[in-house]
Amino acid sequence: MSEVNELQLMLKLLSQAYAGQLPEKIKQIEQSWRQFPIIGWDQDEFLNLHRLVHGLTGSGKTFGFSALSDSARELENYLYFLGQAKTELNAVQRDKVSLLLAGVSLAANQPDKPGSAQVNLIPVKAVRAKARNTRRIFVVEHDRELAWELKTQLKYFEYDVKLFYTLEDFRRAIRQDSRGVVLMDINFPEDPLGGVHVMPELQRNRQTPLQVIFLSSHSELEVRLEAVRAGGVAYLMKPVNLGVLVDKLDELTSASVAPAPRVLIVDDDVNLSNYHARVLEHAGMSVKVVNDPLDVMRPLQDFSPDLILVDIYMPGCSGLELAKVIRQIDAFVSIPIVFLSSETNLDKQLAALVLGADDFLTKSIEAHQLVSSINSRIKRSLLLRSFMVRDGLTGLLNHIAIKDQLVGQIAQAKRHARSITFAMLDIDHFKKVNDSYGHPVGDRVIKSLSRLLKQRLRENDLVGRYGGEEFAVVLIDADGAAAMKVMDAIRHDFSQLRHLAKDQEFSASFSCGLAEMKNFDNASRLTDAADMALYKAKHAGRNQVVLADASYPA
Amino acid sequence: MTEKLVRVLYVEDEPDIQVVARLALEMVGGYTLEICSSGKDALIRAPEFKPQLILMDVMMPGMDGPTTLAHLREIPEFATTPVIFMTAKVQPGEVAGYKALGALDVIPKPFDPMTLSGQVQTIWERRHV
Repeated sequence: MSEVNELQLMLKLLSQAYAGQLPEKIKQIEQSWRQFPIIGWDQDEFLNLHRLVHGLTGSGKTFGFSALSDSARELENYLYFLGQAKTELNAVQRDKVSLLLAGVSLAANQPDKPGSAQVNLIPVKAVRAKARNTRRIFVVEHDRELAWELKTQLKYFEYDVKLFYTLEDFRRAIRQDSRGVVLMDINFPEDPLGGVHVMPELQRNRQTPLQVIFLSSHSELEVRLEAVRAGGVAYLMKPVNLGVLVDKLDELTSASVAPAPRVLIVDDDVNLSNYHARVLEHAGMSVKVVNDPLDVMRPLQDFSPDLILVDIYMPGCSGLELAKVIRQIDAFVSIPIVFLSSETNLDKQLAALVLGADDFLTKSIEAHQLVSSINSRIKRSLLLRSFMVRDGLTGLLNHIAIKDQLVGQIAQAKRHARSITFAMLDIDHFKKVNDSYGHPVGDRVIKSLSRLLKQRLRENDLVGRYGGEEFAVVLIDADGAAAMKVMDAIRHDFSQLRHLAKDQEFSASFSCGLAEMKNFDNASRLTDAADMALYKAKHAGRNQVVLADASYPA
Repeated sequence: MTEKLVRVLYVEDEPDIQVVARLALEMVGGYTLEICSSGKDALIRAPEFKPQLILMDVMMPGMDGPTTLAHLREIPEFATTPVIFMTAKVQPGEVAGYKALGALDVIPKPFDPMTLSGQVQTIWERRHV
């Protein structure tokens, strides 16, 4: 890595750290100002306030906050002026300080645009954007019953729904800065294409157009065309198929952010490995560093990396040997191993490849190259692995993968003295659903349950499709009581969902068995116990959750 | 004949600025840098570090830049050591005031970390011409 790049990277890291501290600094200033007396003059507090503001004036621009330096300077100038007189402040003066302070607080959220400041030169991928919270849905539907039904159903999928029964209400309520997805009926009493006609006016002058899903009973091309022209991103026929609608909404709001890829760095050079870790973390990856190759086993199991970056020359065990060992562990047969070395000798590189290295990177690699080659390696490997471990219909872990995960999670929970609860679910009378409405409808019911599970459970809980209509969930850090509460809420909500088959509506339910790790301490006992509890739930009348008795099998 | 500038003492109370200044002066400038967090600290450590040049923030809690400079001048071996003030200058005439106090020059804050060492070097060389 060239020194300039390294410097720029460090500057960027520093400016991020600075940005992180700004809210606290602003708070201190605001607090100092609040403490400044209304009656009289407190020289100490004044100096404190002045010093705090001065700190921002002198640092903002250095860290890429030019506007902050400028506005702090404005405030500081005024404070300087007040400090000359040292007399009680009048209302006008106080207002002016407050106003200038508000300007400083605002500027603390305005970093310089990339490229305009030297601290932003390095082209490193931004930290993963947080999913913007756009789970708000505006339903504009004059059929009150249908509107209410949509609201009720979407609520189960954690959408925040606002209802409007007339176009006029909607037009008045929606503002330039309103965000969300619009579910717009096309046909209104006053205008059969009213829903389409109202949109251009609302879209005008908006920076980001509203995303509109039209609901319609017209299937004519002309109407569809008009809908597209009005900014429609989807066109759903009535009666609305909830599964299709939620799929579409999920896609538009993209609420699920992929977890950060995990990289394990094995390198005896403490400084260099920390530096690489910082570069990769900066690009949004989660990184663990091991400096002694002989310590690698535990992080390998605990951290379960998506990629391993290994230095080739290390004391005790060479990178090549380490790769060989790692490849002999079943769970890591396919993990990408990338060697990091100052080795430019082609023969040695080839030898490493034979031993299972996937790639060679030279130690002097530049930050952005490191990030991009690691990124593309991980992407490919995750994609390949997803074919092996994911269920095709639901995208959940498949039978083998969820069982593997259960074993790994139990080991990890034991080490950290944490609790795990395992859940087995089975959709009630599923055969009847398939027989009465056909397999495609059955598949949709399975998908809707998988979606509900994914949305309602925490990100680190593991959800798998165990068999046809059977699901398995590993609830991390949850004891039986907590798991019972969560699963029972999901059970209730699932039973309230309406599924659509041709023109018929029906609902479905599931039964669930739970078993706690503290009572059943290995994977097979845990699975058996959960299965037995599921059996009990079925026998007790279905649509319920049962926690396995500690005494089973006794 | 210009003496090569190696040893720089930087007096600055803000930890953020200390870190970025270290990058700017050590990595970019290649100087050997000592950082002190207060004027008092600087007076204690200067005799041992023997700086060729001192960079000093003006506004610091406790002993400010100008006061530190005055005390420094009382120590015989620092009677003529060049001092550059760093300041987010607020008042017109401020720069002239500091120069009158005996500062070699003034570098405005906020500084640009990529060019700070260049500024320092220029001021250093200009003085010795």
